Amino acid sequence: MSYIEVKDLTFSYNEKTNVLEAVNINIEKGEWIAVLGHNGSGKSTLAKTLVGLLEPKEGEIFIDGQILSEESAYEIRKKIGIVFQNPDNQFVGVTVRDDIAFGMENLCIPREEMLSKIDFYAKKVNMLDFLDKEPANLSGGQKQRVAIAGILAMQSDIIIFDEATSMLDPFSREELIKYIKTLHKDGLTIIMITHDINEALLADKILVMNKGKVYAFEETETIMKKKEIFTDSHLELPVSLDIANSLELSDKHKEIREKLWEYALIK
Amino acid sequence: MGIRFNQVSYDYSSFAQGLYTAIKDINLEITEKHEFIALVGHTGSGKSTLAKHMNALIFPSEGNLEIFGEVITAKRNKKIKYNNIRKKVGLVFQFPEYQLFEETVEKDIMFGPMNFKITQEEAKKIAKESLNLVGLNDSYLQRNPYNLSGGEKKRVSIAGILAMDPEILVLDEPTSGLDPAGKRVLMNLFKDINEKTGKTIVIITHDMDLVYQYFNRVLVMNEGRLIYDGDPEKLFREKDLFKNHLDYPNTIKVLKYLNETLNLNLNIYQKTLEAALSEIERVVKE
Repeated sequence: MSYIEVKDLTFSYNEKTNVLEAVNINIEKGEWIAVLGHNGSGKSTLAKTLVGLLEPKEGEIFIDGQILSEESAYEIRKKIGIVFQNPDNQFVGVTVRDDIAFGMENLCIPREEMLSKIDFYAKKVNMLDFLDKEPANLSGGQKQRVAIAGILAMQSDIIIFDEATSMLDPFSREELIKYIKTLHKDGLTIIMITHDINEALLADKILVMNKGKVYAFEETETIMKKKEIFTDSHLELPVSLDIANSLELSDKHKEIREKLWEYALIK
Repeated sequence: MGIRFNQVSYDYSSFAQGLYTAIKDINLEITEKHEFIALVGHTGSGKSTLAKHMNALIFPSEGNLEIFGEVITAKRNKKIKYNNIRKKVGLVFQFPEYQLFEETVEKDIMFGPMNFKITQEEAKKIAKESLNLVGLNDSYLQRNPYNLSGGEKKRVSIAGILAMDPEILVLDEPTSGLDPAGKRVLMNLFKDINEKTGKTIVIITHDMDLVYQYFNRVLVMNEGRLIYDGDPEKLFREKDLFKNHLDYPNTIKVLKYLNETLNLNLNIYQKTLEAALSEIERVVKE
């Protein structure tokens, strides 16, 4: 059994149209998955059903072999955390310290253990010096890192990033991406919802959502060779591959095409 | 003259950080007609503070600025009708969709104009026109804003500002959170409004691909100072953007990589895919 299994998942906000329709996905432990899709394709709804924020109309979700249900949601939420697009929407604490503690408080972790964990994970995301600061005074990138520390402190090993970089400036974005890379190296399972094709290229596999359905789910390198998947789903290829695909197939262009592919797939 | 900054500085005082200067010694002129300007800079560089001055939402701590002839200084002047200034310069915040609050799209767009002493009928007519201008048809008028997609909400909120018929439009990251297709639709819309109505539009963005492709004037803020005001391409040639926590457009990065790895002599300053392709063809032929 895969670490995350989604079986025939259907969801709708009203009776008329399904936002997700018969979605089937298997994700292995430690994989980095990027989820692409146009606005309204069902990406964020999928993320919310995975963490139990929304209840499926039909179908089942298994996480680490356990079926997600009302009874199991409490246990399963420890395993899986989510970082949202707008960092301001996810803060509850007066200080960074309070905020990292929030999830652990709900798990009734003893105070001593909690304090040492806060320090440990704040250090891990490079925010140790900010523990007494108000979250409101942090930069977007710092806020996202605090959110990650809170998730790690709960010993979660699956993190969903729901367009978590889209509000950051290029510098903070780069920083966060670097950090996601180290989480991946540490063996965490990463699900990254994004509109940025360059970001998606860093993942092991890409899941393309189109009108509530899984349109494609393949290894990054394989999927990038299938131009039609992108055109059909109203997505753009990275500039380098757009150029590579438009170049003539002559030998003279071969070297350039290869370099353009190399550039696109640099991790 | 639309807006002119004369040696403007602005100090914030916050409980946590004490007093700090958000923008410093800004001199800047923005013409009231036909300008299409990008405003870039990393988080905390002062670009939003700069934008908030443009419709007198905040007043300079030092220096002054002129907005359509009215001189704005640190002190509130009873003779100035600040509401008139805010009508002339429309400011759209980041995530304007959070500010939709009426139960129909029509009512939401009418809200602004109704504050300016016009009849309900006139406001309805303006709402309809503004909605069409952002590319949504009349069927949206009676819909509930909450049930719209992110892109549609953004358009409705922009229609709300257009309904107030500002001379100058200032938008804070209007394309963030949109998919690539949605981004282009919205950028084309702004360009279209700019060309059709002549309204000057200032857009805050992080997206250098958009800056390169759509704008001929870019303002760069760094640590509270305006460090560049001019042509985007000249910016990419002359400034080290990474040092300023900014990035380069994708075409430039890709062509630069080809030059470095294959020892080619490509002119890397190509705005579009087509231009990049023909530059590669030119070099291959040689």
